[in-house]
Amino acid sequence: MTNDNVIVTQALRKFYGTMEAVRGLHLTVGRNRITAFLGRNGAGKSTTIKMLLGMERPSAGTGTVLGKQITDPEENRELRRRVAYVAEDKPLYGYMTVEQTIRFVRSFYCDWRADIEKRLLQDYELPLHRKVNTLSKGMRTKLSLLLAFARCPELMIVDEPSEGLDPVAIEHLLQALVARSAEGVSVFFSSHQIAEVERVADQVCILEKGRLLVDASMDELRQFYRRIDLVFSSLPPECEFQISGVERIQTSGRQMCVFASSNADAVIQRAHEWNAVSVEVAPVGLREIFLKTVEGN
Amino acid sequence: MLWYKAWLETRSRFLASLATLTLFSAIFVHHAQGLLRPEWKSDFNRLLFINQQFLVIMWVLAVVLLGMGGLIPEKSVGTSSFTLALPVSRARLLGVRVGMGVLEAIVLAVVPWLAVFLVVSLARNRISIIQVVSYILLLVGGGTVYFAMAVLISSLVAGEYAAPAVAYGIVLLTAMLFDAWLVRLTCGDW
Repeated sequence: MTNDNVIVTQALRKFYGTMEAVRGLHLTVGRNRITAFLGRNGAGKSTTIKMLLGMERPSAGTGTVLGKQITDPEENRELRRRVAYVAEDKPLYGYMTVEQTIRFVRSFYCDWRADIEKRLLQDYELPLHRKVNTLSKGMRTKLSLLLAFARCPELMIVDEPSEGLDPVAIEHLLQALVARSAEGVSVFFSSHQIAEVERVADQVCILEKGRLLVDASMDELRQFYRRIDLVFSSLPPECEFQISGVERIQTSGRQMCVFASSNADAVIQRAHEWNAVSVEVAPVGLREIFLKTVEGN
Repeated sequence: MLWYKAWLETRSRFLASLATLTLFSAIFVHHAQGLLRPEWKSDFNRLLFINQQFLVIMWVLAVVLLGMGGLIPEKSVGTSSFTLALPVSRARLLGVRVGMGVLEAIVLAVVPWLAVFLVVSLARNRISIIQVVSYILLLVGGGTVYFAMAVLISSLVAGEYAAPAVAYGIVLLTAMLFDAWLVRLTCGDW
């Protein structure tokens, strides 16, 4: 691992019985960046995160987080001290009050910031003396976020951070993630809210059925991904467009839609060679990239 | 703070068991000793022995309940990922849980007998401290086996109710086997 990467995995695999949840994952997450981890339900995102944090033992492969081996219990314990984690279901002890939960978590970390804790308690309007099991889903999410944001970790791993939050709280959360990144904290977060991801992420990783299909910066995605709508005077030759960089082709009568991750110019040239009547090139948003990528697999 | 967590998790079970055992012992001994004549010294000792018999049963049931908990039950209620994300080894998590359970089990053995000691002293009966200490040591020494069994079962069997059900089943089975063995022993067939 170099100092530029906070997470590196090599051929990471996880089996549950005969079901392979993560299939030879090679993942690299850069330092001081916001990296989004996208995928459908059951794609293997949470399993990967659990393996990174030592909650699940990989069936094969290796990985490091902040330079620490994830499969070594001692090293993993050390890395957990330096990582702030918000789990997918926002699990908290229902029998503790908000105050007890904060006091409990605070005791494990020396990077706790009492000033941030105080400010977030006010911002989130969390009732200190109420038991966690009486809180709404949104409140539980806020408490989970407080427990992560009241620290100054090197890396934040956040699984579905906006779940249960209202639009105002989501906005604050996104701003907080960007602010943390600007302070030098690396952020690795999974989300189904693609519009949010598109706004804040520097890097996007798309996982499908345990495999990493896309690992690119937002700039690269914006620069290279294109949708090319073509109309021909006769039935188009689909096989002629299966060239490097073309991810997906949809044909409907004389119309053809080519989805390319690169090499759009070659597709356009090929379209002209085949006398396309109309050629329209459009940049593609992250939502469409995600849908085309996962549906294509 | 792990001790604090362990305490919060078990305190209702522990306090309920402590209140039940203490009140039962105090009331039973107080009521029964009023029925005895002062000269029935051997019967008084027998009364304490009977109290110990009841205490053993209730104590074993209570410590099995105290042994429940840990990562497997947490997994079923969804809090295990919160616990495992803490910078703490699994061995320490288990150690603290067992430590708290053993401490509570000792308190459960000591306090009811202290209550008995107090009740008996107030009634101006003579009670041997050695006898009481022996009863307590027997409770803790023998009963901790059941606590260990409960910890093992709660680490193997998932489900909020399945683990206690299996543990109580094993307690019942061992009691029946022990009883049968005692009967054969006293009949001289062994």
